[in-house]
Amino acid sequence: MPRVTVTVRDSGGRTATTTADYQVGSPVLGGYYLSGNGNPIADLAGGNIRSLTQYRSFADGYLFPGWNKPWLTELGAAGMKINMVLELKHYGASHARGQTFRVNGRTYTVPAPAMTIQQRPGTTWPRAYGYGQVLSGQCDGLFARALAQYQEMGVGVNLQLASELDTDHEFGTTEAGRAYSWAESDARAVAALTYIVTWFKARSLPAGTTFSVGAGGFDRACYQRTHPEALMAKLDFLQWNVYATSATHTALARFRRTKDWAVADLGPIALSRPVLIAEWGVRSAELPDQAAWIGTVPAAVAALNAEQGPRIVQTNYFNSGWGRLVPKDAGLAALKLAYTTRPYV
Amino acid sequence: MATPTVTVALNAAVYAPGDEMRLTVTYSDTDTCPATVTVVLTDVRGHSSAPVQMTAVIDPLTLTVVDDSGRAWTKLSDNGAVADYRAVA
Repeated sequence: MPRVTVTVRDSGGRTATTTADYQVGSPVLGGYYLSGNGNPIADLAGGNIRSLTQYRSFADGYLFPGWNKPWLTELGAAGMKINMVLELKHYGASHARGQTFRVNGRTYTVPAPAMTIQQRPGTTWPRAYGYGQVLSGQCDGLFARALAQYQEMGVGVNLQLASELDTDHEFGTTEAGRAYSWAESDARAVAALTYIVTWFKARSLPAGTTFSVGAGGFDRACYQRTHPEALMAKLDFLQWNVYATSATHTALARFRRTKDWAVADLGPIALSRPVLIAEWGVRSAELPDQAAWIGTVPAAVAALNAEQGPRIVQTNYFNSGWGRLVPKDAGLAALKLAYTTRPYV
Repeated sequence: MATPTVTVALNAAVYAPGDEMRLTVTYSDTDTCPATVTVVLTDVRGHSSAPVQMTAVIDPLTLTVVDDSGRAWTKLSDNGAVADYRAVA
């Protein structure tokens, strides 16, 4: 850490000296996600894209690097920073049943996921392994399977537990026939995610492994409930997602919304952690000139990082869903241009 | 003779490469004070010159700023109590 030493000396040679330490951070990592966990290598060409988000369900048999995803190991080995979102959410209803499998010679039986999340009225509620199931050890086999594959992959990544707890809990959850409110679901998730982080940290992990928990960051009270100091002490990053979905949304306002809540509400351990933006995007329906909006992001991130509070160190563009680049070529060109601008270089 | 005092403040703890960094140095010494010397030259017939004033500092202070990373800090201002410096991260 660089240090400035200032000395004041009077005419008689008497002196007073003091120091101030500072850090010069690395450039912010400009990152990407391609729809469907797709192979992004063609899209990365010629761009300063240095981080990548991926999504996996603990229910799947192939988490690391993933089914037909040897390119993820190659990218990681080449220095790409990978944010691996690991979800208790089950991605498909058809095989949401119990599983029996072997890991390193030991047989595990894991029951069917017993919780529903994202209970938006009028939609089909996805299933997920319940927080109670996690805390009772019923999901340990899932973690053992993930760990074995991760060790085999051998590339350190950030393990982001859950994609967006606020999205998952917004309309409450139900586990084993019992309904839980949003706030109750948050408390149960904190306990379960603490269990999972503790489980992994007690075992041998590839060098460079870090942890975070996922949040959309759109609800202040939920963000506070899901970021207690005891959990943050086990985590390496704060995280939230950033979307522009209105013509009035500026990059600065959208990137700063959750930061302002965090600075106001969270404790010193949480605020000592840098920020990983697992997803950011601009929705073309309301902001058809996506390239122009993307072009305002570097200055917004630089401005936020010049303020007090946690620094944003990674921003991964979500080229899917709300962030889908239409047309892709223009959006990708704008993204690559943005990532060659301070604070990304 | 008193010993001087000094405190410093950076405008951030973490900078991005290329950021402007600002350092504020606040310093003092109870012995230090400005003085004004007024000279009037009078000849043998009693004719005096116009007074000439000079300023001086009793027990003046000098500041040095050293950065162990080799960054150069440039003084922007100094009023005798507060000095501002600038560098590039």
